[in-house]
Amino acid sequence: MRMLGWAYMAAIFIFIFLPVVVLVLFSFQESRLPVPPFDGPTLKWYTQVIADRNLMEALRNSLFVALISAAIALLLGFFAAQGLSRVKLPGSVLMRGVLIAPMTVSYLIIALGLLTVFNNMGFRPSLWTTGIGHVVINLPLCFAILFAAMGDHQKNAERAARDLGASEIQIMFLVTAPMLKPALLAAYFLAVTFSWDEFIIAFLLTRFDVTLPVEIWSMLRSGLSPATNAIGSLVFLVSIAILIILEFTVFRKPKS
Amino acid sequence: MTADVSLKSIHQMFGSFQALDDINLEFGAGEFVVLLGPSGCGKSTLLFILGGFLTPTSGEVLIGGANMLQVAPKDRPTTTMFQDYALFPHMSLRDNVAFGLRMRGQNKGQRNIRADEMLDLVGLLDKAHHKPHELSGGQRQRVALARALAVDPEVLLLDEPLGALDLKLRRQMQEELKAIQRKVGTTFVHVTHDQEEAMAIADRIVVMNHGKVEDAGPPEDVYLRPKTLFSANFMGDLNTIPAGLANKGSEADRIICARPENIGHKGEINLGNAVLESSSFFGTYHRCHFRISGKGGQEYVAHLPVDDLPKLGEEVQLFASNAVALEHSS
Repeated sequence: MRMLGWAYMAAIFIFIFLPVVVLVLFSFQESRLPVPPFDGPTLKWYTQVIADRNLMEALRNSLFVALISAAIALLLGFFAAQGLSRVKLPGSVLMRGVLIAPMTVSYLIIALGLLTVFNNMGFRPSLWTTGIGHVVINLPLCFAILFAAMGDHQKNAERAARDLGASEIQIMFLVTAPMLKPALLAAYFLAVTFSWDEFIIAFLLTRFDVTLPVEIWSMLRSGLSPATNAIGSLVFLVSIAILIILEFTVFRKPKS
Repeated sequence: MTADVSLKSIHQMFGSFQALDDINLEFGAGEFVVLLGPSGCGKSTLLFILGGFLTPTSGEVLIGGANMLQVAPKDRPTTTMFQDYALFPHMSLRDNVAFGLRMRGQNKGQRNIRADEMLDLVGLLDKAHHKPHELSGGQRQRVALARALAVDPEVLLLDEPLGALDLKLRRQMQEELKAIQRKVGTTFVHVTHDQEEAMAIADRIVVMNHGKVEDAGPPEDVYLRPKTLFSANFMGDLNTIPAGLANKGSEADRIICARPENIGHKGEINLGNAVLESSSFFGTYHRCHFRISGKGGQEYVAHLPVDDLPKLGEEVQLFASNAVALEHSS
């Protein structure tokens, strides 16, 4: 029975990680095709990828879009959550619902809608339009995380600060934001990773400057190569790095 | 600092519910006032009005003679010690206590000196760099007190601050609270529903019910010479004495009452012969249930000295002393 449990666990982990392991393994492949048998290891695909100007520019674009769009989504989500948790407005349940609703809409639909709107307004597809698209998908996420983190505890501390003479701005910077720090960081980094990985919106809303997923997709059109595995491994490495940073800073349990 | 407080015909409506009905009170500077009453009686509402968290439907609030109604909580000479302490979890105790001074623009050196003084006052100076989550409930409560007093308010408002503590700690904190109040001289307005707590700490008790003031005065007056039946009942056990027995016949619409400790073997009012039905031991007294002999005899609760207990079923003559006549209504 005990053995069965271990076997089950192993099977689950193999199921989850086998594709990633294969991807990373064949990024070290010597020959031109990332298929068995493995004949590496070599780092030549990594040198090729890092020397590739288009890829490196796409990587920079992706980082730029991810960091900025996540920051905007976080800021807007924070204001919305702060407002709706403090004040009882008529229809505030409806407002919360509408704010979270984009989460249930497929990225393709959001991208098509944005494309139509931008066309009609005369905006050309660019990194900026992609960034706006990423704010649209990440705002509900940031709002939901922050709204859930704001409770009576928060409100009472804010009231105490007000009682001790703090202005509303001081309360926000000295009490609300520091108390919500774990939720703020979690929401921000989740938004960054979602934007970093996102393909459909970026594909439809970029033209000359593209993000990394779009660049990888255009590489794939010319067939499989260990170079795509190498860039995939690099992307994976970045995501893992963010996760590890989060684990050691935000989600670390406070002592006691 | 300290100041007197005056509340003039305060009314507060929540929709169609009247939370406060014509409250008129005057608190002297440096007084320890306790607002006492059952939950929903309006005592916390009154405290929030004093703190500025709530604007009354009508009426005036004066602190040190100055009208407060247009003054925001942050600009009032009041601070509040909240029921759940509301400490800032991300700040050290020193930063928590210094927060109010920081908001008043004091530099770090000055405000830390003052914060350490206040932490010393509540006996937590050695924990100045700790975070609130490392403290016990009683310690958090002391930090909340130090934080509220650090800005030297004229009036300190305390919203059931001892409610979350266990009984022994609560008694200990009551004494500390009273000692600290004497030391700093600030006017304290303390809300509670525990009448023992009220008697232990108050210079003046204000008994409230259904948004009205039932009684107000020093603990001795409120306990021994209550103004209304509600106030008398809320402050402790009460025996009702048939009007015919007492020599207060001129006040036919009144109820004659006596506390259990005023029922015994001697007194001005002869209650007649009574049988001891049950008794229990409370350390400093026996709590006894007597019933007047004869059918339909009235029941009395008496607190008798420990060395003076009749046998169960024994018949004794019962007397009442220090009886008070109370109005029937309310």
